[in-house]
Amino acid sequence: MGLFKTPAYAYITARVRARKKKLIPKDTYPKLLNMELPEIIRFIEESEYKRDVDELSARFRAIDLLEHALNRNLGASYRKLIEISRGQVNYLIVEYMRRWDIWNIKTVLRGKYYGAPEEEILDYVVSAGGLHYPDLESMAKLESVDAIITSLQNRPCYQVLKDYEGGMLNKIEDDLDKLYYSRLLDAIGVSPGEKLFLKFLQTEIDIKNLKTLFRLKRAGVEREGVQDVIIPGGLEFKGSDLIRLAGLSFSELIHSLDGYSYWSSIADVVSEEGTSLTEIETKLDAYLMNFASRISHYYPLSILPVLDYVLHKKIEVDNLRIIARGKELKLSDDVIRDNLVM
Amino acid sequence: MVEAEAAGLIAIGAGLAVGLTGIGAAIGEQSIGSAAIGVMAEDPGFFGKGLLMTVIPESIVIFGLVVSLILLFVF
Repeated sequence: MGLFKTPAYAYITARVRARKKKLIPKDTYPKLLNMELPEIIRFIEESEYKRDVDELSARFRAIDLLEHALNRNLGASYRKLIEISRGQVNYLIVEYMRRWDIWNIKTVLRGKYYGAPEEEILDYVVSAGGLHYPDLESMAKLESVDAIITSLQNRPCYQVLKDYEGGMLNKIEDDLDKLYYSRLLDAIGVSPGEKLFLKFLQTEIDIKNLKTLFRLKRAGVEREGVQDVIIPGGLEFKGSDLIRLAGLSFSELIHSLDGYSYWSSIADVVSEEGTSLTEIETKLDAYLMNFASRISHYYPLSILPVLDYVLHKKIEVDNLRIIARGKELKLSDDVIRDNLVM
Repeated sequence: MVEAEAAGLIAIGAGLAVGLTGIGAAIGEQSIGSAAIGVMAEDPGFFGKGLLMTVIPESIVIFGLVVSLILLFVF
């Protein structure tokens, strides 16, 4: 790393480490599970989410208020990272955060496709990437899916969107994911920290593909259907492995995973009968989070501590949402706990 | 003539002692200062510790200064 690049990394990594320290500690989640919904909402109102809750309290109530405050805070936290970083680290963060552009584009397209009102569409967007909230607002105001696609013609995602020929959105949604990962993998440089970042992304692709395989195989989808939605570029699951796994049945798939490093994280929740996909996905998310935490200490002045924070923040928001929604639906504490990523 | 040359070399040595340690301290401080400002932006209570950490590399300049003073006044 060049002499003059070091301060840029020192600044952003110190800030994200200070921010990570403010996240809700692991041992608070069991306490939250013992609380009732109003107490949980009060707890969140008094935490780092206070400002978001206060500003949205005029528009929303109870669980909806919580949901929107969490989304807004997540978006603001990620945007802040883009604003306070410079140089190569900023470039990598911007590229990484494009996943939220993809999320938002999918949300707006789906909303428009099914005729949802503008306000409802905007309730589910998270303005954390290159598309700012006013951009998303103007997109949601457009009349049709085609008009939205045309409005995005200066964005990188247009090379996928232009192929939309009407009908279901699945194909372009899968292609948007593939485009996102291919661009991100190309953006990564050769420094030791970025090489580890690459390894993390390849692991993330593996885990996404594994989740997709589990879901589709549980639904009994054949090999051809699975192949189309697989994202290329994984670490352990290469193209030929995935094609082989896609041809197996659910129980054969479980037995074939024994040799992969992800197996140890899911072995205790996988069985031929009655395997809960939610539990598997929770375990895989925890694996990814722990992997990010572990590598964040290898190269302290790199993108890795930023990545670690980004992942932990997302998981905190997801966990709070799971607890609040679980309590609202009167699910048992055990069920809620099984869904938390810790 | 020889004495004048020796005095000149001592003065150059003294200058290098302070100058090079100053550059070294600056290189160290640039990262520490950036990190300290980063933490202070998130937690203003870190100001005292941050300031202390930032000036720690300055101690090497004091060593340089001591060496240069010894060079100038002892030799």
